[in-house]
Amino acid sequence: MSDTAASSDRTLRTGPGRLLVAVYSVFALAATARGSYQLATRFDEAPLAYGLSVAAGAVYLVAAVCLARADRTSRTVALVSCGVELAGVLFVGALSVFVPGLLPDDTVWSRFGSGYGFVPLVLPVLGLWWILRVHRMDRR
Amino acid sequence: MVDWLTMTIQMASLAMAGWCLVSTFRDRPMMVPHLVGMGALWLLVIGQAVVSAVAMVGGERPAETAMFVSYLATVVLLPPACAVWGFMERSKWGPAVIAFACLVLPVLLVRLEQLWNPVV
Repeated sequence: MSDTAASSDRTLRTGPGRLLVAVYSVFALAATARGSYQLATRFDEAPLAYGLSVAAGAVYLVAAVCLARADRTSRTVALVSCGVELAGVLFVGALSVFVPGLLPDDTVWSRFGSGYGFVPLVLPVLGLWWILRVHRMDRR
Repeated sequence: MVDWLTMTIQMASLAMAGWCLVSTFRDRPMMVPHLVGMGALWLLVIGQAVVSAVAMVGGERPAETAMFVSYLATVVLLPPACAVWGFMERSKWGPAVIAFACLVLPVLLVRLEQLWNPVV
């Protein structure tokens, strides 16, 4: 049991997981850097939008680290953060379309991530797919 | 920032991405030639960074210097970080990581150019 657990533990960061970690890391950096820079220089213009970017960056960072660590606990945390991301991109995306006044400046998740080639919309879906796939392979 | 160097890096990066995508679809892992290619690309990027640093020391600074420097640091660190991460994977997903990095790199360079030469 412990043997199979130990060997399957690492599957999360191999194969497609390897690519996911890379993409998540880049997005963590992009969103965090962008948000904190804007918070630092133009806090008054759109604090909610910039705060959201930083929060999104934090979620991406958690997902990247947990996918890379790939142990049991990390898998659960990664699953939750992918879920939060999907909810976030859908919610913020819808807000930016229907209530444009609320977020005067763009975030990573505005208009469903159109500023980033819709990768923010696709990424959590791929993340969830991969984590659940590894989880199912384990139980077999 | 030297324009022709930026162009060269973007072209080299896209070529590298194409090559790695072919490897991915042919189900090949990352090999030494891929690493050499990434090394060459990295040298070009470092060249651009050095030229920009020299220009900045010489007084030619972009308006948003902090932003420019952080983008520049990202651009310099991205190729080696992804090369190592991709090389650790002994399957077709290794070149996929490099392909992703090589597709992001030209976009980052476009941002760098915009920061260096803002078009009003």
